[in-house]
Amino acid sequence: MTAVATAPDTVTTPRFRPHEVFRVVRLHTVNPSIFFGVPWLILGGALVVTILIALILRGSGISDSEDGFRYSWAVLSPQWYLVVVGVQAVAYTFPFALGFGATRRDYWLGTSAMFVFVSFEMAVAIATLVQIEQATNGWGIGAGMFDALWYGIDGWWVDFYSTFALQLLVLFIGASITTVFMRWRMKGMMILLFGGIALLLALIAGLTFTESWPAVFDWFGSIGLVGVFTVLLGLAAVCAVVGYLVIRRATPR
Amino acid sequence: MTRTVVRASGLTKRYGSFTAVDGVDLALEEHKIYGLLGRNGAGKTTIMQLLTGQLFRNGGELEVFGREPAEHADVLRRMCFIAEAQRYPEDFTPAHVFKAAPWFFEHWDAEFAERLVADFRLPLKRRIKKLSRGQLSAVGVIVGLASRAPLTFFDEPYLGLDAVARHIFYDRLLEDYAEHPRTVVLSTHLIDEVANLLEHVILIDQGRILLDRDAEEVRGSATTVAGASRVVDEFVADRPVIGRESLGGLASVTIDGRLDRDERVRAAELGLELAPVSLQQLIVHLTGPEPAGAPEKEVAA
Repeated sequence: MTAVATAPDTVTTPRFRPHEVFRVVRLHTVNPSIFFGVPWLILGGALVVTILIALILRGSGISDSEDGFRYSWAVLSPQWYLVVVGVQAVAYTFPFALGFGATRRDYWLGTSAMFVFVSFEMAVAIATLVQIEQATNGWGIGAGMFDALWYGIDGWWVDFYSTFALQLLVLFIGASITTVFMRWRMKGMMILLFGGIALLLALIAGLTFTESWPAVFDWFGSIGLVGVFTVLLGLAAVCAVVGYLVIRRATPR
Repeated sequence: MTRTVVRASGLTKRYGSFTAVDGVDLALEEHKIYGLLGRNGAGKTTIMQLLTGQLFRNGGELEVFGREPAEHADVLRRMCFIAEAQRYPEDFTPAHVFKAAPWFFEHWDAEFAERLVADFRLPLKRRIKKLSRGQLSAVGVIVGLASRAPLTFFDEPYLGLDAVARHIFYDRLLEDYAEHPRTVVLSTHLIDEVANLLEHVILIDQGRILLDRDAEEVRGSATTVAGASRVVDEFVADRPVIGRESLGGLASVTIDGRLDRDERVRAAELGLELAPVSLQQLIVHLTGPEPAGAPEKEVAA
């Protein structure tokens, strides 16, 4: 006899499934070099280069008040790589997770949790390294890798907050733009690209014609460093929500 | 009582103006091995992607384990589908795949997986990107077998596998299937290799189902009659001819349907040779360049 398997053994799973979401987090950490190994390798490499430069500068008699370490971007070196990590999380790991029976929803929630964790870990570490660098007077030779740009000015919490916000934005931008590709392919990417350019031009034109550039700069000045990074954090949240909505109907290649 | 695990009607998937799956009606029963057969590009992978909720259909109804598969964790967790062109996370190795598998498949048998890795001589630490086609197929085969998912898909599992590896897959699948019954869907265009494994055959061509029948029935469903052209023509006159080859005054005609005892005796009296048609031959006849009833193909002498 043949019967249709209707409802009986399919229990509706609850909306919040911590186990299903957590296994996606674990999937991202199976190969720890992606999220942890390589970023720290890049940072470590940049630190070695910075110290070597400092040794050369000191050797040639340039004092640490004359050097330009404050303008070094070395502390941001892993960011470019992490954009790629965000892209690959959706381009490669997402189709794999679908093959393993994850839902798109659980995949995005797990991936977002991973992004938050990685941003937190990077932020704690970098903010702490800024403190160490200041305490050891630039690793003993006045080398300034972490105590650069806006870092090391307003204390640990501001360094932590700004790194966290920037890191999260970088990861979510890479991932959410890739969800557009996974859902609408090249057509979607073209519309996104040209739509983005058009919007940017319209914004610039609008601000220029209404002569509101000074007001914009004033506004950024008034919200300060923490305010600017709060804007970045808000953008990261927008990317996260948009990514969620887009990936729900995305299909693997 | 047999349960139906998949039920589809009018299932359709379009890519722009191209219809990859065209109004497919399908029912898969529990604890059977299905062969999803067809030529390259026939729509086999697309159907499997629809059934596993990886693609969204443009039309028709679909129920897997009693409900829509896409985005339903309780349905998806009972399926395993490693696509032939499966993408793996950056820098993944087979070891990473097998480490993550038990988190996603509740019936995962790690010991069985280990044995299969040894059987297939799969290098665990080599990056997936660097694996040969056969080794890549082995990864999918091992996940499919060791996951013991109630509904397991094998997408072209034989691609690149050597003769020994194909034999291992065949043996392990039957052994494990006997101990842990489940529904298996095996897509392939290498039909003769899997013919003996299949219990049910679904033949797809250009997104449509041409044949959906019990494998045993299909095997005996066609006969080739060979002999002098004139005699053969007379013998097959009122039967559905699905293939024809002739060489000089000799002809070999494949007819749909089996012959009863009397007919066999008559064929022998007429000096005709009867031969069973293999699954592969039958499918070549059904999906080949000349559809049934089309002008006969002459083989140049």
